[in-house]
Amino acid sequence: MGVVTRKKLLSIIALSAMVVALLLPIVMALPSPATGEEAPVAEGAQKEGEKVEKARDVYYKTEGIVVGAPAPKTTDSPTDYPRYNFESRVLLWFANQQHLYYGSFVLAVPIFCMIIEFMGVVTKDKALAKRYDQLAYDFIKISLTAYSLTAILGGILIFTFLTLYPTFFSYLSSIFRPVMHIYALMFVAESGTLYIYYYGWDKMKEGFLKWIHLSMSVVLNVIGTLLMFLANSWIGFMMSPAGVDEQGRYLGNIWHVIHTALWNPLNLHRILGNMAFGGGVVAAYAAYKFLAAKTDEERAHYDWMGYIAMALGVAFLIPLPFAGYWLMREVYAYRQQMGITLMGGLLAWLFIIQATMIGILFLSTNYYLWQAMGRMRGAEKYQRYIKYLVFLLACGFMVFITPHTMVMTPAELKAMGGQQHPVLGNYGVMSAKNGGINVIITTTVLSFVWYMRGNKVSTVSWARFGNIFMGVFFTCAYINIIFLAIYGYYIPANVRVGLSVPQVATTLSCLFFMFTLNSMMMKGAKQMGPIEWGKISARSQYALIMLATAFTWMMGLMGYIRSSVRLFWHVNEIMRDNSPWAYTHTVGFAANVISANVLFFWISILFVFWLGSLTAKKAPVEAKVGVPGAIPQPAGSH
Amino acid sequence: MKALMSIGALVGVVGLLLLAGMIFDIIPSNTIRLVEGYMPMQMLFEVGCYVLGFTGLSYMLNAMGMGIPRFWQGIGFWIFFLLYIKYRIYPPIPFSVRAMYGTVGLVAVLMWVSSNEEDWKKFKQPILNVLDAQTGFNKVLRYVYLIALPILTWGFSYNAMMPKSEEPIELRTVHPAPPASTKVHGKTYVLQTSLNPYRVNPEGKYDQEYTNSLIVEQGMGRLMKPNANPWDEKAEGYLKYVREGGEIFFQNCHFCHGDNLNGRGLHAFAFNPIPANFTDPGTIAQLQETFIFWRVAKGGIGLPNEGFPWASVMPPWEQHLTVDEIWKVILFEYWHTGYYPRTWD
Repeated sequence: MGVVTRKKLLSIIALSAMVVALLLPIVMALPSPATGEEAPVAEGAQKEGEKVEKARDVYYKTEGIVVGAPAPKTTDSPTDYPRYNFESRVLLWFANQQHLYYGSFVLAVPIFCMIIEFMGVVTKDKALAKRYDQLAYDFIKISLTAYSLTAILGGILIFTFLTLYPTFFSYLSSIFRPVMHIYALMFVAESGTLYIYYYGWDKMKEGFLKWIHLSMSVVLNVIGTLLMFLANSWIGFMMSPAGVDEQGRYLGNIWHVIHTALWNPLNLHRILGNMAFGGGVVAAYAAYKFLAAKTDEERAHYDWMGYIAMALGVAFLIPLPFAGYWLMREVYAYRQQMGITLMGGLLAWLFIIQATMIGILFLSTNYYLWQAMGRMRGAEKYQRYIKYLVFLLACGFMVFITPHTMVMTPAELKAMGGQQHPVLGNYGVMSAKNGGINVIITTTVLSFVWYMRGNKVSTVSWARFGNIFMGVFFTCAYINIIFLAIYGYYIPANVRVGLSVPQVATTLSCLFFMFTLNSMMMKGAKQMGPIEWGKISARSQYALIMLATAFTWMMGLMGYIRSSVRLFWHVNEIMRDNSPWAYTHTVGFAANVISANVLFFWISILFVFWLGSLTAKKAPVEAKVGVPGAIPQPAGSH
Repeated sequence: MKALMSIGALVGVVGLLLLAGMIFDIIPSNTIRLVEGYMPMQMLFEVGCYVLGFTGLSYMLNAMGMGIPRFWQGIGFWIFFLLYIKYRIYPPIPFSVRAMYGTVGLVAVLMWVSSNEEDWKKFKQPILNVLDAQTGFNKVLRYVYLIALPILTWGFSYNAMMPKSEEPIELRTVHPAPPASTKVHGKTYVLQTSLNPYRVNPEGKYDQEYTNSLIVEQGMGRLMKPNANPWDEKAEGYLKYVREGGEIFFQNCHFCHGDNLNGRGLHAFAFNPIPANFTDPGTIAQLQETFIFWRVAKGGIGLPNEGFPWASVMPPWEQHLTVDEIWKVILFEYWHTGYYPRTWD
């Protein structure tokens, strides 16, 4: 290593300061998880001979000293539920959803930046490295404006809570008091890190300093992720409370309150969901810019940007159904009623809509990839097989969306001879649905593999064997997935649940092994022609917009489902919702509110994009990296 | 290749003829039976055969210089699919599901015809020809569309808005979430943890594995395991309780739920919907025994709010049966259908 310059030293100090800033709130709060904030008071009371009341944790079943007040028993009164002449729940729903959309976006985009910046740092091709760097910078620029909006929406959300649900909010904050300040401090740390990361971009763009800059993005993302985990603990507590007794009294162990039955699956699901959503939004942005582009250069740039964002989003979309499956499994394990309400009862129809949205996401992705093959010379050889992929996708989609209990008129019910259709009704159970979604995902992987080798011919000596192996592998994967879906009908339900593991393993094997094998085969492959960025159909860009809209709609839907499953509880089985709105909305009403949320988000994000474009117009010309004639292929694709 | 395609074409033609026969009621839909009760692969398989058949047919017609334009291929396949789900699948599927499948079919066709630029151009061409109206025929056609489309839109709107005398569509919740606990004959049962006291091994201990081993899975034809006949007078323990459960079932339940437990009992068709079909993998097979216990004990009248529109005439059997009898009849239902109760391990 060379001489450590003053600049380097300063940057290391800055990075260390960030790490310390990150750790400080956690260190400060350490005594709280161990003893509970109120514990010294309880000890004091014990000394004076007063009786210490102990109670049992509703989830962990451990005994603890009661240090909090019971959950308030609310009544439909202005004290507990002050209101405007409008349904308070819908107002809160709106504020919450908008905050979540922006929150997800600003958490996801820095992760993208980190990945893209890293790709830029490790890429040997200088021109490509510069393009990656510029792309990461473009991303964080968009995120910066969105970050302010997220904070504003967070403020609006808290004010909505305080104004419309003061008693409930007061109870929730009393439970989470030991970590409330950590949340606030981490938000400050996140802001500080983000600004240093953004404004330090140009000053730290070379050599060792670039690595320090990259490390800052890691710190930034760690803070963001921890922030999200903390926020998740609140909703986890509301769904599956722990750390309190049956009356809702805090028992002094904040870790129990945070680490509820659903916290971990919620965390994983949200990370993946945010990433997929962030990818979708950036891809839609690129698609919009592509469609509005006036020059070939612009079209090429935004085509490439859309592809990268889509690939990153889909990379996180593929494991998302499996994370969702784990979450549902934990929900069932926590409370059978909750699981049945979600997937077999009151909210089951919303799950059918969700399945439809998931199907749309994968269909859009596949369609985009097929369109993208159109800009490669040599990819024509795959075109005639696309109809079979369409067939597989359509079959998987139909199985995935078929409801077990169908919507029908009484006359149709009579004609069918029972509540369930004796043939197609069987698509309604989990075994078939697992088969359906795995076929869809495996087909998406196959489309990706075709895309990756579209304009190439393998030159390795074992190319023929490799191709045969890949063909056999995919065929066996389809057979295995379908066989397990059929076999699931012959075994008990609890064993059937376990069948999802080999099905998922098969799909993921296709993903990992086939991608790896394909990359090995395509190393030093003969190029049939370059990827002609910008020469892609407009339809493909509409597919990207469709992808992003479907993501947004699905996020709104799933948030509503997750929240509604508590039915008439603020905190499940602890604090009852006694407001006049403690009922479940009709499917139609919920769908309308979700659509309104989606519309508002897209209008407001367009505003954010517009703001971003204003900055771009003022940017110096040198910041704009032109698209070279022979555009290098992005590392994400090949 | 040509031979293979000829076979495909033959399959396509035969398939189309069969479907035409079903549409015009010359051949009953159930001539080729659709297997019930399991993963319905047959329908997907049949549609797959049609796809291959049409591919062969298209190839042969192209070879003969009589190729069908891409536009009509797409439209034709979609119409075929709509007719298939309407006339081939029996009993008839509700409109809501046909609409879903039809939409998926349409999306699939559009994805196929627009998957590459060349095909998309071919597909669009007839539409553009009519819009451009360069020939007399296209000119006439354009006028026809100009008049027909508003009339069709009006017709659909009128039909949608016109008040109908049909009963409204019901979104019925068949398996509403059970309560955390239920009180039957003065005793409270926690549904998550309660166990069937008769699901026991020879030592008299609760043992689901043992009792499962005495059940013959449904797929095996519902035969009895050797030396595991509940109607053997010497049968003891679990098998004896199954027999007793069976007696209770045939004295009380089979009138509605049927002697095959398929929901088609003597009185079944007096009700709409007909009683639950226990042989369906979507009913007792995916529920805990305690869920069934709660439903049997409380009946239709005990359904929670979530069970809207409470379309169940099931009596609250706690008024007629003892707790032991309810547990035994549940034991029999699982034994007879070959399903195991759901557990959460």
